[in-house]
Amino acid sequence: MIKFFLMVNKQGQTRLSKYYENVDISKRAALEADVVKGCLSRRKDECSFVEYKDYKLVYRQYAALFIVVGITDTENELSIYELVHNFVEVLDKYFSRVSELDIMFNLDKVHIILDEMILNGHVVETNKSRILAPLLVLDKMVES
Amino acid sequence: MSDVVEKTLTALPGLLSLDSQTGAGKLSSTSKLGNLIRSITELTSKHDEEKLIKRELVAIKEQVSSPNTTMRQMKEMMVRSIYCEMLGYEADFSYIHAIKLAQQGAGLEKRVGYLAVSLFLNENHELLLLLVNTVLKVSVFELLLLVNTVLKDLQSTNLIEVCMALTVVSQMFPKDMIPAILPLVEEKLTHPKEIIRRKAVLALHKFYLIAPNQVQHIHSKFRKALCDKDPGVMAASLHIYLQMIKEGAEAYRELAGSFAAILRQVVGGKLPVEFNYHSVPAPWLQIQLLRILTLLGKDDQSTSELMYDVLDESLRRAEINHNITYAILFECVKAIYTIHPNAELMEKAAKCIGNFVLSPKINLKYLGLKALTYVVQQDANLALQHQMTIIECLDHSDRIIKRETLELLFRITNAQNVTVIVEKMLAFLRLCHEDYTIMDLVGKVAELAEKYPFRITRPPHGWKPHTYYILLAY
Repeated sequence: MIKFFLMVNKQGQTRLSKYYENVDISKRAALEADVVKGCLSRRKDECSFVEYKDYKLVYRQYAALFIVVGITDTENELSIYELVHNFVEVLDKYFSRVSELDIMFNLDKVHIILDEMILNGHVVETNKSRILAPLLVLDKMVES
Repeated sequence: MSDVVEKTLTALPGLLSLDSQTGAGKLSSTSKLGNLIRSITELTSKHDEEKLIKRELVAIKEQVSSPNTTMRQMKEMMVRSIYCEMLGYEADFSYIHAIKLAQQGAGLEKRVGYLAVSLFLNENHELLLLLVNTVLKVSVFELLLLVNTVLKDLQSTNLIEVCMALTVVSQMFPKDMIPAILPLVEEKLTHPKEIIRRKAVLALHKFYLIAPNQVQHIHSKFRKALCDKDPGVMAASLHIYLQMIKEGAEAYRELAGSFAAILRQVVGGKLPVEFNYHSVPAPWLQIQLLRILTLLGKDDQSTSELMYDVLDESLRRAEINHNITYAILFECVKAIYTIHPNAELMEKAAKCIGNFVLSPKINLKYLGLKALTYVVQQDANLALQHQMTIIECLDHSDRIIKRETLELLFRITNAQNVTVIVEKMLAFLRLCHEDYTIMDLVGKVAELAEKYPFRITRPPHGWKPHTYYILLAY
């Protein structure tokens, strides 16, 4: 299962954090800093899966942003690696080529999108149209 | 995210006043949320961050208590609170207002209220356990307000509100309140809209995870969901089935044929094209089905025989060179080696593993090593076949590859190679800094030392004491 889903930039600033297993709020910043440090120390030619404590991290870098997913060992690393990319493609579709600032200015919407894809640490939807449908309805309601 | 376009901070003033981007929020330059975000991007130190957020929290606290706050403003305050908590600063005074926003807001405001609730509260929160506690951040009455709001939204004529309620129920819901909400959720299983049925199934998955005995009586309804004409609803039911099968495969073996049939249809491209990801039909769904089939076929020959053809087909179809097909192949290989053996399939799977291990793509090599580790207990020859590559991986520059290789070697240790393997493990340990990895490897070395006590002649005192001496250093 997925333990957490993070978007952290190279300076270690968290842009999005979602925990599927409770981590005390006071411990989160340290965890996130630690996790991004682990990813920053990796070279480009090294694999995208890192051991962390008694579980694993799958990370993927997009410009200055790292998306890091903590997973238990029952999870297929490569499938999560691609899930991250699917998520980014969904964001790209919604924001028309998403950037770090889009995420910052629309944190609530990015969460809403993520909520359609992952629930309880499980992957529940990967069809892009279906992921975006509820949010698009909400956007329409705002416009009218 | 495009590598080409990354909006720079110099574009920020423009962003703050423009309102033309599709989907992007409209923020006026005077909006407090906009100010907060701009300030966050300008932060340079932890000290600055603390000052900023503490000020922000004081401001939010004052504003949320004001009677004149509109729902729109409340929504913005909840997002600001979410930011503060994301950076590690508690905004507990906001929790009750999140619940009220969910109750009183509409559309996106309501959704943000529910979002805030799901982020602020969690299952272990005193609130949701209904413990009487002087440090309760929200009173029992206010918790009931949340439950009531959810119940009301579940019965709304506005479908999007029903969706929101089902989503939040799937994220967090007090266990003790399940009986109150279960009938309403069950009702949604037969709703004409697929999204409602799908979300209802996911809510039941949540209930199954936290209180399985509460949903014992509706197993037949899961069966209906599995046979739903909409693939999304069917896929949602797989989460429940996987969980139940993990707990006891015996009772579900009779469904193996159905799962195999579904996989056959998915692999054969029978799903609408929108379920594709880079031309691969519903890959995560394929993986889910493969996992289920693996559990059902294990230790059962007749059940395994039902799946040979679909496994063969999956192997064949996953020939597109994309990461996601490799992920599917990995699950196929695991399945083939777990269920009752089929020589032809195992040969194809072995070839697949070989391709992974020999791949120049590092992620594939990793997966190959992982697969080898998994199958090597049944097919030691496979490791032998690839021993040159394994030896190379042992000295790989990527420490994760080295680690995986040691994991593999641990499983193929015998009296002849134990010395070398332990030496490699000790060498790795010397450079390792992660506590968990150290503990794990030390444990493995100790285990091997117990198993093969006198395998080397050097150092002169015998191997076991020497190794323990090094282990004690950790």
